[in-house]
Amino acid sequence: MQATEVASAIVDTVPDALCVASLGTATSALRAASNDGPHFYFGASMGSALAGAMGVAEALPDRLVVALLGDGELLMGAATLWSVAAYRPANLITVVLSDGVYGITGGQALNAPTRFAEVVQCLGGVTNHRVDTAADLCHALQTAARPALIEAELDERVWPGPSPFVDPAKVVLEFRANVHRSVSPDSRV
Amino acid sequence: MVETMPRDKSAAQLEWQLAIADELVRRDVTVAAYVPDTRLQGILARLDEHGVSLRSLTREEECVGYAAGQRIAGKRPVVLMQSSGLGNAINALGSLVVPYRLGIPLIVSMRGTLGEANPSQIPMGRAATALLHALGIQTFALRAAADARQLTDGVATMAFDAGECAAVMLEAELGGGRAGN
Repeated sequence: MQATEVASAIVDTVPDALCVASLGTATSALRAASNDGPHFYFGASMGSALAGAMGVAEALPDRLVVALLGDGELLMGAATLWSVAAYRPANLITVVLSDGVYGITGGQALNAPTRFAEVVQCLGGVTNHRVDTAADLCHALQTAARPALIEAELDERVWPGPSPFVDPAKVVLEFRANVHRSVSPDSRV
Repeated sequence: MVETMPRDKSAAQLEWQLAIADELVRRDVTVAAYVPDTRLQGILARLDEHGVSLRSLTREEECVGYAAGQRIAGKRPVVLMQSSGLGNAINALGSLVVPYRLGIPLIVSMRGTLGEANPSQIPMGRAATALLHALGIQTFALRAAADARQLTDGVATMAFDAGECAAVMLEAELGGGRAGN
């Protein structure tokens, strides 16, 4: 899988979800997959995206929230996995783009093991899944007990395309409009 | 099991702690993200009495990220931290909250200033206000209980109405810390 395939699977499978994308590859992939959809794109603040997604999820408990994170991003903010395990927002799915490198800085190796699924298994309260195909990712998005962490293993590193540098004012305005739009009753949590 | 209420709720709640909490509630704050501190305890206990959700998180940066998520979703959070933890929060403030104009009120319990006995606290105590000012975040020093409501209300107005992060700095003169702090 490539990062854009992961983002496309999210957008196609749970189209009413509010997505939070970490800086770099995740933001670029979600912009490409959603045609610049009204999501919460991080332009920086590495390590804070899962905390931001948890804040959105607890603020809007009847909306599904998907955090799309790079693996380097999650390493930097890994302690938030402990907070998710503590407070267990039932509307939060975390999808990790797992390729073992820092994408936006040039593809340097992480070196640290990216065993996020095993970590949350130890913590308890968060279901864990590891997928390497878009079909398996779609299935996990539809069936996983929440909160869930899905580690999506990438076997091909391709820059998704759109710039990861976003206009914060536009992001906030469009995300808030997304919060207030009516969604299918079936998609409510 | 998650503990939502500070453990030593019985700790004395000082006038300024009650005033800050009551004013935050009056301004429709619904959730408080914090890293524990002795002087914040009375504020948190009062918020809990009012039904405000308490989120004890692992690190100050996480509190800021969490509050940013609440804010972009249209809610009114508050972040409480000790000044020594402000350094942990700087990147999330400077590269998320400030550029996205997600106005969040900060309540910062000052260490490392008047009467500080721990030399390791002094540098961050000296730097805290300057660090926030360097990011364009205005700070308001609270030294007298009588000013607690006005400053909290003012900072809440800046955050929620003007979209500007602003901070109440709980200075040493207010008291409420452990002996030797």
